[in-house]
Amino acid sequence: MSAFSPAGLLALSGGLLAIGLFGILTRRNFILLLISVEIAINAAVLNFVYFAAFSGSASALSGQAIAVVLIGLAATEVAVGLAIVLALNRLRGSINVAEANALKS
Amino acid sequence: MTGLSFALDYAWLVPLSTLVAFVIVGLAGNRLKRLEWGGWVAVAGAFVAMVVGLLVAAAEMMGPGTYTDQSFTWLSVPGSPGTFPNGVNLVMGVLVDPLSALMLIVVTVVGFLVMLYSIGYMHHDRGLPRYYAELSLFLTAMNGLVLSDNLLEFFLFWELVGVCSYFLIGFYYEKPSAASAAKEAFLVTRVGDVLFLLGIFLYFATFATSGPGAGWAASGFKFANGTQPFLAGISGGNSTTLTIAGLLMLAGAAGKSAQFPLHVWLPDAMEGPTTVSALIHAATMVAAGVYLLAVTSIFLGFTATDQLAIVAIGGFTCFFAATMAVVNTDIKRVIAYSTISQLGYMVLAVGAGVTMVGMYHLFTHAFFKALLFLAAGSVIHAVGTQDLRKMGGLWKKLPITGLAFLFGALSLSGFPFTSGFLSKDDILGSVLAATSAHPLYWPFFLLALLTVFLTAYYIFRAFFLAFGGPAPRDPALPEAHEGPWVMRLPLIVLSALALGAGWLAFYPPFASLLAGGGVPPSFSATDLALSAVSFGLVLGGIGLAYALFGNGRMVEVPAGSAADRVRSVLLNRYYFKAGYDWIGLRAVYGFSRAADFVERYVIDGTIRGIERAFARGSDQLRKVQTGIVSDYAAYVIGGLVGFLLLLLVVAPWIVAHLGGS
Repeated sequence: MSAFSPAGLLALSGGLLAIGLFGILTRRNFILLLISVEIAINAAVLNFVYFAAFSGSASALSGQAIAVVLIGLAATEVAVGLAIVLALNRLRGSINVAEANALKS
Repeated sequence: MTGLSFALDYAWLVPLSTLVAFVIVGLAGNRLKRLEWGGWVAVAGAFVAMVVGLLVAAAEMMGPGTYTDQSFTWLSVPGSPGTFPNGVNLVMGVLVDPLSALMLIVVTVVGFLVMLYSIGYMHHDRGLPRYYAELSLFLTAMNGLVLSDNLLEFFLFWELVGVCSYFLIGFYYEKPSAASAAKEAFLVTRVGDVLFLLGIFLYFATFATSGPGAGWAASGFKFANGTQPFLAGISGGNSTTLTIAGLLMLAGAAGKSAQFPLHVWLPDAMEGPTTVSALIHAATMVAAGVYLLAVTSIFLGFTATDQLAIVAIGGFTCFFAATMAVVNTDIKRVIAYSTISQLGYMVLAVGAGVTMVGMYHLFTHAFFKALLFLAAGSVIHAVGTQDLRKMGGLWKKLPITGLAFLFGALSLSGFPFTSGFLSKDDILGSVLAATSAHPLYWPFFLLALLTVFLTAYYIFRAFFLAFGGPAPRDPALPEAHEGPWVMRLPLIVLSALALGAGWLAFYPPFASLLAGGGVPPSFSATDLALSAVSFGLVLGGIGLAYALFGNGRMVEVPAGSAADRVRSVLLNRYYFKAGYDWIGLRAVYGFSRAADFVERYVIDGTIRGIERAFARGSDQLRKVQTGIVSDYAAYVIGGLVGFLLLLLVVAPWIVAHLGGS
């Protein structure tokens, strides 16, 4: 574990979050959007894992547990998201989120 | 007390019978063609009212000074300690006392006779169901007013007679002058009515709160049964508030009784049918103002300042109105001005403290004035015009009408031994007697005395112009003939009453009515010298009228002469109407325009501006909602970043620089 310093690890997860947010803001393709969300969630999961490892043994397990829950959450979110992608594709023939603006008014 | 006293308990039948007639004629008049479109129903209602009214009055005469009050509580406000110790009750009721019995005779008798006369006079008019319904409603309201037992109920009926007057002046509503006269009458009397209502409020507010008056408030502000005016018992009758309240009562009376300066509406009210002029605008409704003053004076009392104001208004009005009657050429308007003038006499008497003398004149005046109007109506019915310049020579064609008019004119001018002579000289004598204690009454007494001359002159001028001479001055007038019996009978009955009603004062039971409230008429006050002077003035007036118009010719006044200018001022009613029109058209209308501008542009402008700002702002705000998920995500992220900045940067900065205290 010593090969990674806390600062480097935090920079890694911060970078992942930035990449994810950038993707969320710029992608118009629904699938790429979902991938960007996954990247951002993984940044959070990484954080839980680091801090569980660095902290005392008492709270270590809870951090790991939350990480596992988050992975499960991300998986379900992708499942729902991909279902929406399929439905949207059937409805509109396109998965461009900029065109799915029926809720505008 | 005699067997008649039961009638006192049935006084409510008087207004009720005409109310029933009103409902029947109002709802079904159109189907009653065979009953003169409901006219006979109205006559029947008025007849029942007259019979009951006379029985009630007779019962009141038999038991002098009885005070019969039947009432129910209409609205009750519980008392609270401090402000309204006994609470306030508003009651509705029927009160028979000498004063109302006297008025009841006038209203029901004249009401019935006029209703009967209408059958003949109005026969050729359209809209008769409306006419008879409104006249019945008027009689209901007028009798209700007479029988009211408290000021608020009085005011309700007061407004009701006012609105009936409005309807009936505007009976010929297709005629623009009639419609505008109706509006004028309504608006001008409304000025008085509002002040009257304020006066009632002032009495209520003064008495309801504390002091001995609180008991009065709790009993429903009834006209109390007492031997002296209410105010005399509780305050010495001389506080500023009570003076103001008394002046407001005077203002109300001036509006209804067409006293200066609210006199302008009555001559224009002659646009209504002549029967309406006789009943409403001569005998009854316009006398309600005097009745109000009498009731106030007897039950509440006036302060010395109020009395002087009332004397001044009455004395001035009786002279002022008489001058305008001198040159008028419309037979009805001449009589209308004389009504204002005679009402001035009554107001003068009430102001001088001899209330019942004023009521005595009201009583005699109602008959001879109704007679004059009905006789004038008979003339108008016969020749189809109201213009004295076109008439003439009617004495032979209309003997009954001519005699009736002559009797009315004699009584009006106060020719000795007519009713008018008795009551008018009684007023003059009483006011003269009052001048010894109140020197300020002198000028108004002199004006009233001078008016005797003018009265005799103008009414005989009208008489000679209409009846004198060989033939009508306008040959185009139709051949005159007397009306049917329904028109002749009221003329004959009223002729008898015009000459003789005043003599009732020497019949002890009737005199007890006059003695029953306040100061009774006393003929000792009329000294012989004063009667001689006034008789001289009457003869002078009649003589002048005969000299000028006895041959049945109009007197030609050269245009541009001083006399012509005076005539022009008088015909234009001293420019009062023009002045009020100016107030209405320029001052009030100008103010309304300004208010309209403020309303339209300042207030509405502000509100519309706010509305427009919101509308535009929300148009801008709508653009934020694009429906694109990425945009919403951007807002979420932006919001999160902003919140973090606030928490981590701005808040510590504030705490570091400003906090710590």
